[in-house]
Amino acid sequence: MSPMGQLWVVLRKEVVDAFRDRRAIMTIVLSAAISPLLLGFMMNRLADRQRQLDDITIPVVGAEYAPAFADWLRQQAGVAIVDGPSDAEAAVRDRNEDVIVIIPDDFQQKFRSSTPAPIKIVSDGSRQTARPKVLRVRGLLQRYNGEIGTLRLVSRGISPAIASPLQLEEVEVSSAQQRGAMILSFIPMFILLSAFAGGMQIAMDSTAGERERGSLEPLLTNPAPRHVIAGGKWLAATFTSLLSVLLTTTIILAMLRFIPMQEFGMRFRIQPEQIALLLAAALPMSLLASAIQMYLATFAKSFKEAQSYMGLLIILPMLPGFAATLYPMSGQPWMYPVPVIAQQVLVGDVIAARETPWWAFVVAAGSAIVLSLLLLQLTTSLLRRERIVFTR
Amino acid sequence: MIRVENLHKRFGTVTAVDGVSFTAADGKVTGLLGPNGAGKTTALRMLYALMKPDEGTIFVDDIDAVAEPQKAQAHLGVLPDVSGLYPRLTPREHIAYYGQLHGLSGDDLERRMNHLIEMLDMTAIADRRTQGFSHGERTKVALARAVVHDPKNILLDEPTNGLDVMSTRAVRDIIRAFRSEGRCVLFSSHVMQEVSALCDQIIVIARGRIVASGSPDELRAKTGRQNLEDAFVALVGLEQGAPA
Repeated sequence: MSPMGQLWVVLRKEVVDAFRDRRAIMTIVLSAAISPLLLGFMMNRLADRQRQLDDITIPVVGAEYAPAFADWLRQQAGVAIVDGPSDAEAAVRDRNEDVIVIIPDDFQQKFRSSTPAPIKIVSDGSRQTARPKVLRVRGLLQRYNGEIGTLRLVSRGISPAIASPLQLEEVEVSSAQQRGAMILSFIPMFILLSAFAGGMQIAMDSTAGERERGSLEPLLTNPAPRHVIAGGKWLAATFTSLLSVLLTTTIILAMLRFIPMQEFGMRFRIQPEQIALLLAAALPMSLLASAIQMYLATFAKSFKEAQSYMGLLIILPMLPGFAATLYPMSGQPWMYPVPVIAQQVLVGDVIAARETPWWAFVVAAGSAIVLSLLLLQLTTSLLRRERIVFTR
Repeated sequence: MIRVENLHKRFGTVTAVDGVSFTAADGKVTGLLGPNGAGKTTALRMLYALMKPDEGTIFVDDIDAVAEPQKAQAHLGVLPDVSGLYPRLTPREHIAYYGQLHGLSGDDLERRMNHLIEMLDMTAIADRRTQGFSHGERTKVALARAVVHDPKNILLDEPTNGLDVMSTRAVRDIIRAFRSEGRCVLFSSHVMQEVSALCDQIIVIARGRIVASGSPDELRAKTGRQNLEDAFVALVGLEQGAPA
């Protein structure tokens, strides 16, 4: 029998065997689905928060004491005002309201006489979720303050610039757009993780599992070269890993269609050629993930032992993901030949629709394949070791 | 036919097999008899080419098993000491897996598979997953997949170990059937009755060395004991009592 034929026999057996393990298959499907769903949940929450901020309803106590001010507020985009509760402080303390504006009855009189008219903002500084709304209200009041001040100066023939020694310009770094972009930057990590999660079962079962069951020794009495047996098992693990990557990618793309990306000031439209690029960037990860997992699991005498190695290994695909949230990861030529980092960067580039040279994909895939074959060679030599074959 | 000459294997300072030579002929059952730890399993592992001997030669049907392990394996059917199964596959799939690795396919494989299932009386369990099989049932599956490629030489490492009476009998019947088909059967055991009931030739091994060999009658004559078990104790005890 040709080695290729034997390779196919091993590959098919491992895939059939794995697919009969319902619990393992469920684990793969769930782990492929959970991260994109989490992502969608986070994005939707963020979009909701943003929408809440845009359309703000301000409870105002004593609006009748400042009709002009109330009218001005109503004219601002996305602002509505309602009558505030009689006990404003209690309402905020009891979390019935995020923020309440109180206009005292002497407002009009002081306003007319051009002395500072009192106005109160009631809020609870310990409540993080209310902060954007409080800031918005304060901003609105300051703007009104500024506009009236300017008008008063102009009416007295003084340039308003004199009363503005500073020109403040605020740069908001944690804008919704950036938070949205940060969440999107998790996508490459989720895809890399799914490559590791998908191949794990076969990588462990066909190595540590065979040793634990005592089925490795009889298997090796068949006249098949070790690299053929190792190769078949590796490709089987790669196959389920590929399925897992495809599943995760599909769910992520479907999610992104339903998330109102315009809320974050982003346009996200994925084109068919981008899907092809996404897969070209992500799929080599499956080859490598399976090869690493198989090599490590071959050292393990039992499934349990292998699982503890896999637990440590899962950090690997997460490292560049975490790094990416701290440093912008793209465009550096040294990254493309470094497996895992390269896949992270390329997937990120495709998602963000950044231009990437075609050779970057080739270099990234090539180095992942070379490293995989090297690991496969190491696994093969492990399978030749008597201590591995016979020790249970 | 299997020919072994001057086989040696050391693990660190322990010499597990120390100069073993013998020939196992076709159409004969050869028994490797010895107490636990005598080196039977190590010797067999070298014969089925999963362990490299430190010294010595092994020929399987005139194929050098040390130089061409895979070619030798194609002529061997092996039931190792531990023969684990895949709990989610059926016996039929186990047999097919090994058969395909040996290059069988289609009708040939199907015929051979049916023959073995019938011969080993496994029709009722042939399409059930092996999870939860009894020890006897598992041994049958392991035996069937080991000989699916119709090998001329069959190596069995303690095939009846832990089996109940009925399963032990079934295995013995199969060994006899292999012999009548003209195969070379070599099996290891530490059970006297089994060896005496089955073997044409007995090789008594202790502490890695062959202490005696011959037919059951020859062994009795050699030790002067009528009972083969007494003969065994005499042979092994002699060796163990001897200065190293």
